[in-house]
Amino acid sequence: MAPGRIHALLGENGAGKSTLVAIASGQLRPDTADILRDGRAVTWTSPRQARAEGVTLVPQHDLLVDNATVAENLALLDPMAPFFESKRKRRDRVARAESLFGLPLPPPEDLASSLPVGSRQRVEIAGALLTGPSVLILDEPTAVLSPPEVQTLLQALRTLSESGTAVLVITHRLAEVFEAADDLTVLCRGETVLTRRVEEVTPPEVAALILAGSEGGSRDEVMAGLSETDSRKIEPPRRAATSGQLEEDLVLEVRALATLDSKVPSASLELKPGEALTLLAIDGNGADSFAAAIAGLRPATGSVRVAGAPVALGDPGSYHDAGGAVIPADRRLEGLFPNLTLTENFAVSDRRRGFWLTRKSLEEDARARMSRFSIRASGPEARTRELSGGNQQKVLLARALTPLPKLLIAIHPSRGLDLGSSASVRGFLRDALEEGTAVLIVTSDPDEARLLGAPIRVMYRGRLSRVLDPETPVAELGRYMAGLAE
Amino acid sequence: MKRLFTGWSWIPWLTYGAAAGLSVALVLIAGGSPAASARALIESSVLSAPALGESLSRLTGILFSALAAVLAFRGGVLNIGIEGQFLMGGIAAAAIGPMTGLGAASMPLALLASALAGALACLPAAWLSESRGVPPVLSTILLNLVFAAAVTWAVRGPLRDPAGDYPQSRPIPDEQAISTMVPGTRITPAPFLALAAAAGLAVFLWKTSPGLKLRAAGDSPLAAKSAGLSDVKIRTWVFLGSGGLAGLGGGLEVLSVTRRLYDPFATGTGYSGIAAALLGATDPLGAILSSFFLAALGAGSRAMEREAGVPAAIATIIPALAVLAVLTHRAWRERGQ
Repeated sequence: MAPGRIHALLGENGAGKSTLVAIASGQLRPDTADILRDGRAVTWTSPRQARAEGVTLVPQHDLLVDNATVAENLALLDPMAPFFESKRKRRDRVARAESLFGLPLPPPEDLASSLPVGSRQRVEIAGALLTGPSVLILDEPTAVLSPPEVQTLLQALRTLSESGTAVLVITHRLAEVFEAADDLTVLCRGETVLTRRVEEVTPPEVAALILAGSEGGSRDEVMAGLSETDSRKIEPPRRAATSGQLEEDLVLEVRALATLDSKVPSASLELKPGEALTLLAIDGNGADSFAAAIAGLRPATGSVRVAGAPVALGDPGSYHDAGGAVIPADRRLEGLFPNLTLTENFAVSDRRRGFWLTRKSLEEDARARMSRFSIRASGPEARTRELSGGNQQKVLLARALTPLPKLLIAIHPSRGLDLGSSASVRGFLRDALEEGTAVLIVTSDPDEARLLGAPIRVMYRGRLSRVLDPETPVAELGRYMAGLAE
Repeated sequence: MKRLFTGWSWIPWLTYGAAAGLSVALVLIAGGSPAASARALIESSVLSAPALGESLSRLTGILFSALAAVLAFRGGVLNIGIEGQFLMGGIAAAAIGPMTGLGAASMPLALLASALAGALACLPAAWLSESRGVPPVLSTILLNLVFAAAVTWAVRGPLRDPAGDYPQSRPIPDEQAISTMVPGTRITPAPFLALAAAAGLAVFLWKTSPGLKLRAAGDSPLAAKSAGLSDVKIRTWVFLGSGGLAGLGGGLEVLSVTRRLYDPFATGTGYSGIAAALLGATDPLGAILSSFFLAALGAGSRAMEREAGVPAAIATIIPALAVLAVLTHRAWRERGQ
């Protein structure tokens, strides 16, 4: 990395990006490594030492203290903060950090817990700048931001680098690289496969290199995804032969649903068989809570009917009995049974099973699902915690889509997956749609929403926008996501 | 058969070795001879019919408590109140016979009542946990004190034997009790009932749909919701089932071993069951082995004190060392993953 330049670090999930920056910033100790700083070999034993040498990492998920104010959080991040300090001095520090960063920070007395995720990130980055870094490393800083916020952040990073700081940015989004970065490095299975100036390469070349390390999904599928024209668009649902029974035709009917976390005051929604809808929202605007409440995972008030049957809110069993299935937002925490085997993860929610479980039928079923959903594991008796992220997500898909439910709610189904895996997730969702399953997808990524090809509704502060065409440009979607349009 | 042994590992048994080393050191510190102690321990716990009977009579309560713990831990409920649920089962068994006056027919009724009493003893903790978020570890351990006090009250109050001066219940008459099968020993059908219960629990956990759902809810309550299971309902049944097994253990203790309820009653049996469950890799079949190990230690400890001059308390330190060894091993294994 060179002073005054923005360097982008790219690669699939598991390529080693985070490990590399963790070593570079002293969080992890390498088995062997030569770290050269201004031409001089260094060994770091702690992040503190790396920071003292001017190398600072901004982690992917901010580490602010929720119960502390912005001013207090910055004081904690500032290595020069004295033992005793007045409130006024702490306020001054906020102003100083603001001027270092060039972007406005939230009021100094606001609690971190009250801030939206974009503001929290600004506090974290401003705090990193207080250490006076000459090398600033940001791990996926744009993943949680709306398109306008991304633009502002990239602008600020540009200004920082022009003042001489070397900036390293990890990202999954090629468009940002070609817009903002000077140099790029592609990692593949732990090895550097390319380091170039950005103007020397084209996006398709870089994409092809990244994909060499993909976890799954055919190459064509992925390239189609990159050119933003998935080969199979989602068709509007076939009309029922008799048009007289519209009411019974609805697979999902949500009326005035209010979540108890008060993120969604009142929202309504309808889906017909084979119909898909993408709920697009920046995290924290209630889309996750709304979708989880429909599936009975969170307490809520209002009315939900699945295929005509009323669902008892807060009771996931009644949602599943009515023919619903769900892929939760956090596959490790809310989706998988990590210490149970693949066969057991499948059998647990299979309503076709009787009282007795026979080893043979369990295993046959698991093998069938593994081949249908191309799940790579050491065998049907593997514990799901041993699988990679992409394969874990496929396990959840295989569970939710066998037998096909009437309705599938998929919350961030491709979050944290590499290009290949997310393309195959989209493929499985489309297959289910073609078979007549209605699908409600929640995502925070406008590109992903466009690739899905289903009608889009944006949720901002718990309110749903009108139905938008999936061809709507990202910038326009961004205006809805940021609450600038309704 | 392999599925029956899921979660099984030979390594916990290896850790007995380390624990045994420390135990030998303790015996030496106490001024005894390890060889003589071991001989006394083994001779008076398994090497003769009466000694085996003594061990088996201790096995019943420990194994039922261990099964209660296995069921609870597999279902994600940290039921540390097995001791108290065991006592409530004992109270129920001691009360039914004299109260109903049914003669021999009261025995199955007493067992049913003891299981019910154990299950009911779990209800406060289950309700506090599911509706008020009180951790079951706290509520169940505190309820143990309440149920111990209930025994104190029962044997001085409603259940007191008017014939004697001691605070104890009236004796269970022979026709209402579970009597010995081999004259001259304490071998009764009760421990075999416990073995059958262990086999039944193993089949339930590994071979049935409800058993799988229970283990799933125990592995990840949040994932259970996403899979369409009602984790609250499952945990409530786990509470009731676990308490029922513990209560049954307490009832069998009264009907087959002590024939009376007194105060303090069978102290530590419930906690031994928890230790046995942990030593047995929270597997019902593993729990059989570890429960028998603990029962034999308890049976042999007096003889060890008498014949080798080593304090019987060492027999309670040994299982504690073994539990620590197993937990250390487990933590180490999980860190490695």
